[in-house]
Amino acid sequence: MYDFKALIEFFPYFLPAAWLTIVVSFFGIVLGVVLGLLTAFACISSKLVFNLPARLYIFAIRGTPLLLQILFLYYSLRGIFNFEAMTSAIVALGVHNGAYIAEIFRGAIQSIAVGQMEAARSLGMTYRKAMLRIVLPQAFKRAIPSLGNQFIIALKDSSLASAITIKELLLKAQQLGASNFKMMEMLTIAAFFYLIYTSIFTWLFHRVEEKLSVSGNA
Amino acid sequence: MITIKELEKWFGQLHVLKGIDLTVNPSEVVVIIGASGSGKSTLLRCINFLEKFQKGEIVIEGKVVNQQNEEMINEIRSRVGMVFQHFNLFPHMTVLQNVIEGPTQVKGIAQEEATKIGQYYLDKVGLLDKEDAYPSTLSGGQKQRVAIARALAMEPSAILFDEPTSALDPELVGEVLSVMKFLARDGMTMVIVTHEMDFAREVADRVVYMDEGLIMEQGTPQQVFDTPQKERTQSFLSRVR
Repeated sequence: MYDFKALIEFFPYFLPAAWLTIVVSFFGIVLGVVLGLLTAFACISSKLVFNLPARLYIFAIRGTPLLLQILFLYYSLRGIFNFEAMTSAIVALGVHNGAYIAEIFRGAIQSIAVGQMEAARSLGMTYRKAMLRIVLPQAFKRAIPSLGNQFIIALKDSSLASAITIKELLLKAQQLGASNFKMMEMLTIAAFFYLIYTSIFTWLFHRVEEKLSVSGNA
Repeated sequence: MITIKELEKWFGQLHVLKGIDLTVNPSEVVVIIGASGSGKSTLLRCINFLEKFQKGEIVIEGKVVNQQNEEMINEIRSRVGMVFQHFNLFPHMTVLQNVIEGPTQVKGIAQEEATKIGQYYLDKVGLLDKEDAYPSTLSGGQKQRVAIARALAMEPSAILFDEPTSALDPELVGEVLSVMKFLARDGMTMVIVTHEMDFAREVADRVVYMDEGLIMEQGTPQQVFDTPQKERTQSFLSRVR
């Protein structure tokens, strides 16, 4: 029998885990965006010293499962820097998303017509300034839908941190379910939180897109 | 003003410019005509250093430009404007922002003063009422006039036009050409690549006919259009008429 009352009864037990999911996801995404931007620039660079490591990084991350990366970083960072599981989870999520976000940024930057860079340069602007003032603002706008998608994936992927003892929503549900034998109900509560989070993300990104579309495209 | 000496350029194996010599004097309007693939747009882009060339040199206002020297190139570009076939307006900025981007960011002119300059040139191209509009709301002809105002706002000593009316609907060509005629009469030094032969005849001080990477013939519009000396010029002109 599915116990509906358990949904309400055990709901408060999930609040610390719900907070932990937010923390892991938030810092993971922030780290991912920073890494992603740097990697995207490195990828575009014609210099091999920047270009090659960036490509290798993306190659390694996209070619292996996130769960493996989390475990790998957990065991290696714990050994070298004495990192806590929490730090390892954030670093792993950030490094993983950095590779995907780099590809999103790279694609968006390269999708801006060459003529934009040329027009800016023909006014006498430096490459840097033209990038910063003309290309990047347009590229960011173009990247927003894909970024939104990636953030939602990152949020859900934070559940894999459960494999290295982070008591976020999924691990919490499994632990409670194992002791009270109401596994379905506990998973339902976890699912409820994820749905709320992803809905907020979706709504937020729609708002941003709407706001930005006011200044149309040429 | 602009002197080009023995300019040669390859795109890989393709020899696109095979030794161009051309001098543009102050206040002169030079119109370059020729079939597509003759190298006329490439020549113009070389003058703005958007293309690197392999041989020859370009002298601008008495200085030989070193095309490896980014700083020098940026400085030259701020004095020689460029208008593109596809306008290349900045879509995330209003018309006025487009026009004052160069003055504020490159010349370091303060916002207020740049705005005055921008409005002055927008008025010259007849688009002052559109200063707060975004480029996406403008017609092609209006976009190109904004692009011209953007070049003018840098107060350059010369402007290069790369087929400025080729991307326009026929009924919008006139408004762009009339702005350019006005500039020509005002004494602006201009190098124009175009397919508009009537316009070339009317505004050009000198017409340059390019063919397969070489300047085949040049002279006054009367000389080139009415009494072309070379057979290739004659056959080109008979095709475009």
